[in-house]
Amino acid sequence: MSEVKKVDGVEGDFTVTVKKSPRYIDMDKCIACGLCAEKCPKKVDSEFNMGLDKRKAAYILYGQAVPLKYAIDGENCIYLQKGKCGACEKYCPTGAVNFKDAAEEVQIKVGSLILSPGFKPFDPTVFDTYDYAHIPDVVTSLEYERLLSASGPCMGHLVRPSDHSEPKKIAWMQCVGSRGFNKCDNGFCSSVCCMYAIKQALVTAEHTTGDVSQTVYYMDIRSHGKDFEKYYVDAEKKGVKFLRARPHTLIPGTDGKGVKLRWVDDQSQEHYEEYDMLVLSVGLEAPKDARVLAEALDIKLDRYKFAETGSFAPVTSSRPGVYVAGCFQSPKDIPQSVTEASSAAASAAIALSSARGSLTKEKTYPPEIDVTSAEPKIGVFVCSCGINIAGVIKVDEVVEYAKTLPGVVFVENNLFTCSSDTQVMIAEKIKEHGLNRIVIAACTPRTHEPLFKDTLREAGINEYLIEMANIRNQNSWVHAKEPEKATEKAKDQVRIAVAKAALLCPLEHISVNVVQKALVVGGGLSGMIAALGIADMGYETVLLEKSNSLGGNAMKLIKTWKGEEIKPQVQAVIDKTQSHPRIKVYKNATLKSAVGSVGNFVSEVEANGETLAIQYGVGVVATGGSELKPAEYLYGHDKKVKTHQEFDALLESNDASVKNAESVVFIQCVGSREPGRPYCSRVCCTHSMESAIALKKMNPDMNVFIFNRDIRTYGLREDLYTEARKLGVIFVRYEVEAKPTVALDGGALYVTGMDHILRRPLKIKADYLVLASAIVPNQTKELVELYKCSVGAEGFLTEAHPKLRPVDMSVDGLFLAGLCHYPKPIDEAVAQAQAAVSRAGVILSKSVMPLDSIKSAVTDKCDGCALCVDTCPYNAISLEVYEDGGKEHKRIATDKALCKGCGICMATCPKRGVNVAGFTMDQISAQIDTALAGF
Amino acid sequence: MADTYEPVIIGFLCNWCAYAGGDLAGVSRLQYPPNMRAIRVMCSGMVHPNLIVDALRKGADGVIVMG
Amino acid sequence: MAANTLGSVMVVGGGIAGIQTALDLADSGYYVYLVEKSAAIGGVMAQLDKTFPTNDCAM
Repeated sequence: MSEVKKVDGVEGDFTVTVKKSPRYIDMDKCIACGLCAEKCPKKVDSEFNMGLDKRKAAYILYGQAVPLKYAIDGENCIYLQKGKCGACEKYCPTGAVNFKDAAEEVQIKVGSLILSPGFKPFDPTVFDTYDYAHIPDVVTSLEYERLLSASGPCMGHLVRPSDHSEPKKIAWMQCVGSRGFNKCDNGFCSSVCCMYAIKQALVTAEHTTGDVSQTVYYMDIRSHGKDFEKYYVDAEKKGVKFLRARPHTLIPGTDGKGVKLRWVDDQSQEHYEEYDMLVLSVGLEAPKDARVLAEALDIKLDRYKFAETGSFAPVTSSRPGVYVAGCFQSPKDIPQSVTEASSAAASAAIALSSARGSLTKEKTYPPEIDVTSAEPKIGVFVCSCGINIAGVIKVDEVVEYAKTLPGVVFVENNLFTCSSDTQVMIAEKIKEHGLNRIVIAACTPRTHEPLFKDTLREAGINEYLIEMANIRNQNSWVHAKEPEKATEKAKDQVRIAVAKAALLCPLEHISVNVVQKALVVGGGLSGMIAALGIADMGYETVLLEKSNSLGGNAMKLIKTWKGEEIKPQVQAVIDKTQSHPRIKVYKNATLKSAVGSVGNFVSEVEANGETLAIQYGVGVVATGGSELKPAEYLYGHDKKVKTHQEFDALLESNDASVKNAESVVFIQCVGSREPGRPYCSRVCCTHSMESAIALKKMNPDMNVFIFNRDIRTYGLREDLYTEARKLGVIFVRYEVEAKPTVALDGGALYVTGMDHILRRPLKIKADYLVLASAIVPNQTKELVELYKCSVGAEGFLTEAHPKLRPVDMSVDGLFLAGLCHYPKPIDEAVAQAQAAVSRAGVILSKSVMPLDSIKSAVTDKCDGCALCVDTCPYNAISLEVYEDGGKEHKRIATDKALCKGCGICMATCPKRGVNVAGFTMDQISAQIDTALAGF
Repeated sequence: MADTYEPVIIGFLCNWCAYAGGDLAGVSRLQYPPNMRAIRVMCSGMVHPNLIVDALRKGADGVIVMG
Repeated sequence: MAANTLGSVMVVGGGIAGIQTALDLADSGYYVYLVEKSAAIGGVMAQLDKTFPTNDCAM
């Protein structure tokens, strides 16, 4: 509940004035029981649910909110506004309500700032012809998102606002508040709306019963991200209709229900269509307070109020030491935001590397008492959670019951087991009674186990000797109307927990030693940026390049879409890389082997005929991609047919034949978006736009045609499309089934297509035909085999998670950047390379990396059948040979650094030959036996 | 008999999704019958088929693996 | 650049980008202040039902 007011100082030493608004709830005391909200009489529109339902003035933003602490909204609180009520204060069981809380300003000293204030969803009320304000069944996409959500106002069972009936016929309208200057001045494309509309259309089928019809009205479908095109094609196959039109008027439906839509097709035919519900796919604008923030921080904004950055430093604002990430930089999707977030983290970390670790501290604990062979002495702590548990469950009965269970030597009831004084008390009881296994019957281990684990360590016993019985979230809160059965269930839960606790063993604290060096594979722009970043953080880096020069594709390009010259910038990066004291560059180099895992890899590298061994803790893969050599449109048969890179070379050389050309034709999607290569190459539309603009500026009389399927100038690149149209570039649409044809006639090149508006064939004599051919990944077969990392059907390397871990590879300790991941322009490649630096820095910053102790381990029953070796999704299991009684035997061994403790090995093994620590077969069996013993 | 019959269900809940869902049901105060006894696992993939058979053999009326 | 460099960073905005930045920096040895104007972090991503192309739950 804080905002930045002012920033003084310089990079490395800023003083930030932050205004903290009052929460009126003491965060240390609040136990998130929700009584304040229950008793609060004041209802307010829920901002989280986009005003579709109500919350109270005492509220949490959403059920899984972090921190899970209530707040009182001072503007709506009756007590704070009128001086009476105070129900929340009266009922709060912990005295957490504090009406005297007041706003305060604090000064915080930091070395850098990173701005990620997000975006503002466009408010469609300004379009009076859409009448969003008055037609109840016209909703924005964000409202629709809440209507679909299981945690939303209709709990995931979609109903329309007017009469709460289930809509059967739904339409989406794209580009509302994007790609238009009328009434909103948002010339840019919001980048994400096409995909979220398709997602909503598909997901709608899961939230409704029976048949549902979905129609998307669009201008261009922009599915330019990784795996997005396939998703779009799949949606079409599943029956989602796509209609190319921009409807201009929405009319209320009969009796105020539904909506009637008026639109005009390519042939100027007017149509009316009725829908039960219509979703406006609203765009992403700069945050509402962008200007205020920019003034407080003294940074520059662009014409659309997004933060200004350059392609070679995509997250660096105009003020040194201040970085930006996410939609404040420009509208973008989640993976790109996450990538920029890490990129900004890397930029800050590099600038402050001399002070790394100076302000963080490590906690120390007393030595651990070994209780492995000790008889279980179980202590049970039963929480009342104020009245949250005790109001439903008879806690005293549970306490008495717990005392009868085998192994239990101490039982106690606490009003709040999680409070800090109780932690001190629990530690004392552990010491006093020699407790060596602890059961906490309270809320969920997902939020509270870390706290109790810490208490166990403070008390000198291993933190894995704890088991929680979730008698709040999964009992008293969900069985409030059946108190007797809830009490019985609570007893069962405690009994199950005690049975497991009796079998708990202390788990070893495991860690790996980290070799604080990095290997970067690929010396293109992404690889160099990654190497430079890691080296600038202070770590030794080896860079491998398979050819004899650095620079890759970037050295073949002229300008970025923002207009910056590319070659001088890349040359500067090359020079810096080659002269960096901590970077060793090997050219003509190939990776020959790779063993080990995160923190400690060893590879053999062959460079210029010599073989050398390299040891490293992390690797960045930036093996790049290249422009496809097309096999159609007479490419290779006539020299007037060029690819983009070839035509760029001509443009750059100021060739007279280009200058004097009467007409130049571009064909988009050559080799992309078709069977065999069903992805969008992302960069080609923008590239054609840049070339077409350059041609028109060179010679305004030149005829420039762009044959396209959809124009995908996403984000602020849309300005280029607008400019190209203004300059008179002619756009001709074609369908994949009816591609334009190219023929030679007496040495002249002719391109024939169908004009989509006139519905007449169009034959153009072309002086040059430029093919916007696909970007294909460079071959990575050996690398994939060496590291056992995953790769997609199209040959692009796969990230660990498409949204949340866009830079991490499926193998821990490996990261990816640039075209080997997916086609992308320079600014995005640089951002991803910097993100890889940050992710690598997380591992490299420690010489010893602690690991979670929940790992699989072989038992003496393993006979080396190796069934689990293949089922392990992390390639963590291998076979080893050992000697026993003079004979050779086989058994499995788990690499602890790779194992995630998922236990698929355990479920696969027919012989109980492998167990997951903390979740062994015996422990789970004991839980089952005990659970059923009560019935 | 039919009125008093209460089935006993053993639920294996993945820590990251189904168990988290169970917690969210609590925060949202959704009410459901108290017949299931949950066993938290780190992944539904670790539930050995024998454990399911075991539970049914020992008297469970149903087993639900959620993940 | 200041003569005396501080090892702390302020992240303004607690959506998915802010959270990722804060985690990366905290995990690499920097002290992080995460400033969020609403009562909880999570931003717009927390409001989404599912995310494409995997249709994973956004939460």
